[in-house]
Amino acid sequence: MQKETVMEKPSMALVPSSRGFAKTIGMVFFYAILIVLALFQILPLVWLLFFSLKNNQEVFNTPLLSLPSPPRWENYVKVWVEGNIGQYFFNSVWITTVSVVLTVLLASFATFAITRMNWKWKHVVLGLFMVGLMIPIHSTLIPLFSFFMKMNLIDHPLSIVLTNIGFNLPITIMILLGFYQSFPRELEESAVMDGCSVHRMFFRIILPMTAPVIVTTTIINMIYNWNEFVFVNTFISSDEFKTLTVGIQNFIGQYTTDWGAIGATLMISVLPILIVFFFLSDKIMEGITAGAIKG
Amino acid sequence: MLRKAHSLVVVLMMVISLALVGCSNSTNGNGSSSDSGEKVTITFMHLWTPGSSKQHNMIINNIIKEFEEKNPNITVKQETLENEQYKNKLKVLAASNELPDVGMTWAAGFLEPYVKGNLFAPLDDVLDSGLKEKFVSGTTEAYAIDGKTYALPVELNITPVYYNKELFSQHGLEAPKTYEEFKHVVETLAKNGVAPIALGNKDRWTGSLWYMYLADRIGGAETLKNAINGSGTFEDPSLVKAAEEVQNLVEMNAFIKGFNGLSNDEAKAEFTNEKAAMYLMGTWDLPQFTTNEDIPKEFRDKVGFFKFPVVDGSKGDVDSWVGGPGVGLFVSENSKVKKEAKEFVKFFVEKWGEMSVTQAGVIPATKVDTSNMDLPQMYIDVLDELNKATNITLFADVQMNPEAAQTHLNLIQSLFGGEISPKDFAKQHQEVLSQTK
Amino acid sequence: MNKMMSDKKVIALYVLPPLLLLMILVYIPIVMTGYYSLMKWDGIGSMQFIALDNYKQLLQDNMFWKSTYHSFLLALFSVISLAGYLVIALVLAGKIKGANLLRKIYLIPMLLSSVAIAQLWLRIYHPSNGMLNKFLMSLGVDDPPNWLADPKIALYAIFVPIIWQYAGFYILIYYAALKNIPSSIIEAAVIDGANPWQIAYKIKLPLIAGVIKVTIVLAVVGSLKYFDLIYVMTGGGPNGASEVIASYMYQKAFRSFNFGYGSTIAFSLLLICMLMTWLIRKLTNSKEEIQY
Repeated sequence: MQKETVMEKPSMALVPSSRGFAKTIGMVFFYAILIVLALFQILPLVWLLFFSLKNNQEVFNTPLLSLPSPPRWENYVKVWVEGNIGQYFFNSVWITTVSVVLTVLLASFATFAITRMNWKWKHVVLGLFMVGLMIPIHSTLIPLFSFFMKMNLIDHPLSIVLTNIGFNLPITIMILLGFYQSFPRELEESAVMDGCSVHRMFFRIILPMTAPVIVTTTIINMIYNWNEFVFVNTFISSDEFKTLTVGIQNFIGQYTTDWGAIGATLMISVLPILIVFFFLSDKIMEGITAGAIKG
Repeated sequence: MLRKAHSLVVVLMMVISLALVGCSNSTNGNGSSSDSGEKVTITFMHLWTPGSSKQHNMIINNIIKEFEEKNPNITVKQETLENEQYKNKLKVLAASNELPDVGMTWAAGFLEPYVKGNLFAPLDDVLDSGLKEKFVSGTTEAYAIDGKTYALPVELNITPVYYNKELFSQHGLEAPKTYEEFKHVVETLAKNGVAPIALGNKDRWTGSLWYMYLADRIGGAETLKNAINGSGTFEDPSLVKAAEEVQNLVEMNAFIKGFNGLSNDEAKAEFTNEKAAMYLMGTWDLPQFTTNEDIPKEFRDKVGFFKFPVVDGSKGDVDSWVGGPGVGLFVSENSKVKKEAKEFVKFFVEKWGEMSVTQAGVIPATKVDTSNMDLPQMYIDVLDELNKATNITLFADVQMNPEAAQTHLNLIQSLFGGEISPKDFAKQHQEVLSQTK
Repeated sequence: MNKMMSDKKVIALYVLPPLLLLMILVYIPIVMTGYYSLMKWDGIGSMQFIALDNYKQLLQDNMFWKSTYHSFLLALFSVISLAGYLVIALVLAGKIKGANLLRKIYLIPMLLSSVAIAQLWLRIYHPSNGMLNKFLMSLGVDDPPNWLADPKIALYAIFVPIIWQYAGFYILIYYAALKNIPSSIIEAAVIDGANPWQIAYKIKLPLIAGVIKVTIVLAVVGSLKYFDLIYVMTGGGPNGASEVIASYMYQKAFRSFNFGYGSTIAFSLLLICMLMTWLIRKLTNSKEEIQY
């Protein structure tokens, strides 16, 4: 099957014009709901921004969505200077990137083999991966810590990358699974007839066709890894390897908490993901699909 | 044709090299063996983060600097975590026998499992070198098990009832001395639309303070203590009556709306925003009401404190406090640099005691000589009270073993929520305490 | 062709690396958890083998069953909410203007860490200053509920942010699945005279059935395992009114220093999840995956 560039026929399936007025009202109502929902989803961002600009007093005293006057941009300065956010930011970025790429890649390999190739144990292996979904993270802390201790990987970012991959493989595979299963077998048959090897078939045909779900799982992994907290807290001690999520702790004291600073840290921490998500996800998608067409 | 595979390989290479770059930065931070003259590193894990406990953190850094200057072959490496995460990590480290050389611990019930597991080194030798007399009596005892002391406290706190003097005088009220007067204060405030007491019982230990004082005033200091350590019983009538009183207060609307779901911070905010008139809390909050510039001076000037009122006709004594030492420093029994670690602890405690009040507003567990210090009046008053104190009862959830402590805290929440009868409250305490000896 | 697709070397190459990682990083802890669950252990000192005693205690532990019930309730609500997300995704995937932007906006709450979401909702639910209660009071309600303090409603109150947090996640997945359906099929249906509802119900849904099944499993397992917001917002309180399995486990393992029993709870959670997954697969099994 070739991916045709389909012409976007305007709303053919939706609006036969004969219905007229009622339909228009329906559409308006419809859009209104969608927009209200959207506003509700943006609320947290707006709130977070305002939150990060308040000091401890204002955080509790003022209404949810009020802009403090004056806005306390010094929270951001404090966080960058005293909170060592720069270092944490860098760590978050590279750990997340490495983890996400490896996870999505390895998961694709595994899912491809499970869904498209013939072998006896595929259901067992799939089951094994799925069970990996079901363990609550806190109970794995002590065994994993011992393990990494023995491997001399404590206080080493590789421990985080590995656990990120290990614990996100199941969910990534599960999502990929649903998509892989719906591809027609004819694809492979025609590829084989053209003289394709398995590897080439995977890389040149299947992988590009899964572009949408790859973007999806990349985004999901990115979010999970970026916000990953428990493992970093347990396995990492040195400041030079900490990530943003743990950096927040700098502002939680034994008896008092600096909420404005926490807000600033959270804001700084959500911006990169926002940017990648909003602007880059389309580009990634184009890149992968373009690769398919050229072949 | 090979292009796609090729570019994929390139991406993979980049990814792997990124990982390797990260790898090459790794350091290995364990202490080396302790021959004098050789470079020694002491790992020190604590709760006082630079972001939120700035003054504490500064003092620590100064002390470390001084120590390192005096001992050029020793380096102290810090790791800071916030409270909850600190406790979790300490546990994980303990399970793998990888505790830091020096760390912080809480007293009594918290300390017990670690001591039972032979993870903390006894510090009596440090105390015997002249340090013991410097501590306020009763503080190091909280860290002793079977006669050996396992940590040296660096904080001492008592819990007064802070109150908003202006709100009081606006309603013709004065700081109550007896419980009857206190109830009158509560009624008057409630009637006039002012929340009498700020309480955030989501964290549960805050409500426990109220219960403990009532137990102390109604039954005397020994009753509660004996109930917890097993020589008495929790079903003692005075302890049941204390539970009843708690529920009476709730009925009187003494606490802010929705208190059972509010965090301590949220409650404190109600007090600071003058929506509530009283706040029972520890002296660790003194900076909030005296020196903290983030809080409007106008408010800070309005805050005073009074001792928990006495209940007429009962055994309690107004100079008996709930409180106790806060965190203490331990030395890991399996530390490879035990000698140096102990020296560091000794040095720290001494230096800390000199600076903590004036620079961080923290009352140390060592005796404080206020004569030469320039302190806000409330501090001086508190320190005077400390000298007069007849008894300091350690927080219930610290005294008890961890399992019983959790049950206690949950029962407190039920009690305040009106979901359990005082008799049942006492009974379940007795059960869990006797089961978890 | 079959020979090529059964090439053991290729299969090994593709499957072993991820499988190995999984076995080491995830299965070792699972096995260890099972091992610890047979011990009396405070997590620090020495362990004492007590075989199935912990499990016997578990069966009689009211709090455990209460938490399990709560977790299942959450799972139920999550699955029900999936229907809503499906509808939204169907709408977005139809050729609506601005679908792309809307989809991205809907995902925003998922980008935030649990800490941020918790803080936001704590402020919405605050009994006197919170957005919700202030709104209710302005409508004339005198004594609006104490959302997180009242044991009768705390559980349901906290379900709202949890479910809301994942809305974008499921919408994203459904949207991607729907977009994957070749438009030639949709066009063929339109030409045949099908209206939008028929297209959605008879054509689109069956074609993404595989994905829907996956999301059901994810929603159920994710709910049973859920921890974050419960821990930060209510701590399982008041007195266990909003306790779920994972938060109960955490409390036993890390606060009560009863790591052996905590491991028992964790392992039981694993078993429950496995059971549920098997059940779901059995109930939603179709013999052929529909292909186009």
